[in-house]
Amino acid sequence: MPWGLLGVELTVCAWILLMLAADIVMPAARKPSLWLLALAGVVCCAGLLIGQSASWPGAFQQMFVADEFSGYFKGLFLLTVAVVIVMTREFHRHLPTHLGAFYMLLFTALLGMLVLASMNDLLMLFLGLELLTFSLYIMAAYLKTDARSVEAGMKYLIMGSVSSGFLVYGIALLYGFAGSTNFAVIQAKVASGSVTLGAEAGLLLLLAGLGFKVAAVPFHLWVPDVYEGAPTPVVALLSVGSKMAGVVAILRVLYGVFLPLQSVWTHLVALLSAATILYGNLGAIPQTNMKRLLGYSSIGHAGYLLMGLSTGTAQGIQAVGYYLLAYLFSNLTVFFVVLLASEAMGGDALDDFKGLAKRSGFLAAIMFIGLLSLAGVPPFAGFVGKLLVLLATVESGRLWLVAIGAVNVAVSLYYYLMVVKRMYLDAPRVTSPIRVHAFTKAVLAFLAIGTLTIGIFQEPFFAQVAAALHL
Amino acid sequence: MPPLLLILLAPACGALVLCVVPEDRHALIRRIALAAATLSLTGALLVTVGYNTGRAGYQQEVFVPWLRSLGIGFHLGVDGISVALVLLHAVCGFTGVLISYAIKERVKEYYIFYLLLITGVFGVFLSLDLFFFYFFYEMAVIPMYPLIGIWGSDVKEQGRVRFSKEYAAMKLTIYLTLGAVIALTGLLWLYTSAGAGTFDLPTLQQHFVTHPLPTNLQQWIFPLLAIGFGVIAPMWPLHSWSPIGHAAAPSAVSMLHAGVLMKLGSYAIIRLAIGLLPDGAQVWTPWLATICVINIIYGGFVAMAQKDLKLIIGYSSSSHMGYVLLGIACLTPLGLDGAVLLMFAHGLMTALAFALVGHVYDQTHTRYLPDLGGLAHQVPFIAACGVIAAMASSGLPGFANFVAELLVFIGGWDRYPVQAICGVFGVVITAVYMLRVVRGTFFGPSKPAFARVQDALSPISRLPYAVLILALLVVGCWPGPLLRIIDSGSRPLIQRLTPGDAQPGRLAGASRALQPNADSPRAGQP
Repeated sequence: MPWGLLGVELTVCAWILLMLAADIVMPAARKPSLWLLALAGVVCCAGLLIGQSASWPGAFQQMFVADEFSGYFKGLFLLTVAVVIVMTREFHRHLPTHLGAFYMLLFTALLGMLVLASMNDLLMLFLGLELLTFSLYIMAAYLKTDARSVEAGMKYLIMGSVSSGFLVYGIALLYGFAGSTNFAVIQAKVASGSVTLGAEAGLLLLLAGLGFKVAAVPFHLWVPDVYEGAPTPVVALLSVGSKMAGVVAILRVLYGVFLPLQSVWTHLVALLSAATILYGNLGAIPQTNMKRLLGYSSIGHAGYLLMGLSTGTAQGIQAVGYYLLAYLFSNLTVFFVVLLASEAMGGDALDDFKGLAKRSGFLAAIMFIGLLSLAGVPPFAGFVGKLLVLLATVESGRLWLVAIGAVNVAVSLYYYLMVVKRMYLDAPRVTSPIRVHAFTKAVLAFLAIGTLTIGIFQEPFFAQVAAALHL
Repeated sequence: MPPLLLILLAPACGALVLCVVPEDRHALIRRIALAAATLSLTGALLVTVGYNTGRAGYQQEVFVPWLRSLGIGFHLGVDGISVALVLLHAVCGFTGVLISYAIKERVKEYYIFYLLLITGVFGVFLSLDLFFFYFFYEMAVIPMYPLIGIWGSDVKEQGRVRFSKEYAAMKLTIYLTLGAVIALTGLLWLYTSAGAGTFDLPTLQQHFVTHPLPTNLQQWIFPLLAIGFGVIAPMWPLHSWSPIGHAAAPSAVSMLHAGVLMKLGSYAIIRLAIGLLPDGAQVWTPWLATICVINIIYGGFVAMAQKDLKLIIGYSSSSHMGYVLLGIACLTPLGLDGAVLLMFAHGLMTALAFALVGHVYDQTHTRYLPDLGGLAHQVPFIAACGVIAAMASSGLPGFANFVAELLVFIGGWDRYPVQAICGVFGVVITAVYMLRVVRGTFFGPSKPAFARVQDALSPISRLPYAVLILALLVVGCWPGPLLRIIDSGSRPLIQRLTPGDAQPGRLAGASRALQPNADSPRAGQP
């Protein structure tokens, strides 16, 4: 049994049990400090992950592998969950009952993401995805007294189940084609050249199921409602962790298995990308709720990720890797500020952000940085991500897609600046300053400085991405 | 420290330092900003004085490899063209800090954004790497949004808001970003099709000597760059953001905006579109020349019809930038020299004009021409400066604008006689509206409402006006040294464009006639 290979996942399993036990045993008054224990778990995992530097042979009949690729993304997943845990610290009074169970679900979601990063088999794909999605269904509906939250959970559940259906059907067809669910076997079969219609249909269904995870058009319908209704830390996890997990799965499937079929899926992904970018960015313009706006913006970002994926080249996936890193930092920054600001302002409508700069210059400045990075403005991380994606797409020769992507940078800047306008230009309703806890401040500063560093000093990060993501 | 790094980093570090200064220490904040701008100005003067006109190529280079796998390097360097513009920007930035002393609220945030804006513009003029060129270009655009949105003012007419400052700020940002991403598409296409795997400008230029891009490809990429950067130039019909943006911005930002930011567009067209795509330029410049004439005439007429002082100067700027583009479109050393010198002269003149309007607006709280009048009684100093600015703007001999416009017309006559003749009419139009502004604002009977209006009294408040006027007069009466510097940058550029076609002696002679000391190297320079 390769314990070292599974170290991170097993630690997460241990923490799942620990959190469950804590939820039952701990007195309710002590529960708010549970976040420290949860954070300690993530730190343990990170330590194990760093120790796991060497490449291991796969385990469980090659269903589970650990390579540079999985290491890179596991690192990003752990970072995401760590930030989300710190966010729940500010949010816990909305989660009065079963706070421990909430953290437990966070860890099951993390386990699902980790499994997805390491999967080398269609069954593992399904397992990881369902583990992640089921945790998210429950977490989205966690505010039981809030109708919007329950609606969000319900909507997510129904749409998610349908897409899981697509996924399973696709897996079945591919199994029928290759006689195995193992990626290596399917790849050998695809490379041999005799691809049946059934296999192509299977790939299509698989893409549909994964398109739901990354919120690509036409599987995006759940996004605005769920983003608006679900608790903000959960939305942060959904928009960063879950999207990243979807992209990881698409990368493994398209580039690890179906690369010889490039001529089929690159056009399809390019079309999806164009539709997703246009829908997300144009849909964001009329929004009046901050989280809804970020929902549409996250659809737009899914479009840019698909754009990188549509190239079929090593440059393309490296661009996607960098884009995800940038997206992680900037989006978590933005969601963190949204959480803090809506706590203080009493709502998450766009107009609740009026005059934020006067009430807390710090929060407004951090939000400004995060939004500009999402829009793709130098010197922030998002700019480099977008630039790399556009460059890879130019190299692949799809100039029409580049044109759509480039113009939508200006469109997205419009709605992000509408938020900036409210924060900086409009007068606040109440003028009392907002207090931000020193630890929270430190985490926010870390995220913002990270956004800036990834945007200015690209070399070390790009080297990391290039080492982890290659064909 | 290399002077170019000093120029670029001084404002950036100033902004960083300001982040940790307490908000209510206004005097300290102003001093830090002034120190940063002064350092940049010192650096710019050092570079100008130390520039060797006899040496070809880029000078004072700084190179740090940045992202090796894509061929991105942090590469700074100047040639004659960028030296002139860096100097212009340093002067405008410095005087702008002094003019900004009028800002009284949210001072810290104001200077942070202001210094970031200055950093971005310096970065564009100094960068010799396409990646960093674009990087700084976008960095210069974004601070404009809060600067106009927070500290700007609505454009009013008869007490009614015609354009709100929020509208102006958003329009400006979106227009410029849209232009930028169009240009970015062109740049990425250029990078990919060059196949040299580098964003480095000199390397690409070398590469294109041996592996020129196919002409039909250049014909596609050139308009992307020309239109993308033309938005900020501002090229008709994409100019509509600019007068409104000028009008709504606070004085110092209008100064920078009209004085320097618009020059980013024409500079980018010279440096990238013409410098890298000579064949594309040959195909498209006749169209460019025609658009310039529309810019000049249309902008001039619209300026005549305005009643808001800042809108008048705003439209006049977009009209005058037409001359710059006309000079560029000539593709001759003479025209290009004229264009760059005009960028320099127009930048100083327009900065002066916006500073003056800013003072008038601060004191009278109106810029609406029919409400003004007779101010010369209260503000003799400002009125005198106003008359000087109007004369400079109309291209009177003795001011740098005269020399520059003359060069553009002489250069343009050879290639585009019709456009040049139409352009000359623009000078008349300018004279009409500038004289109207001066008469309507400063002359006539004294109005009782303005009895308490104050002149710029202290030496520190007179300093920016004095600096700008002095620079205009010095370059106007003695254009030789600056023209020699500009020429050393534009001549190799044009020669790359038409390698076989030596310039006719007549033009070279005219160019030399305007440079009395051309034969004695670096005469008159310390």
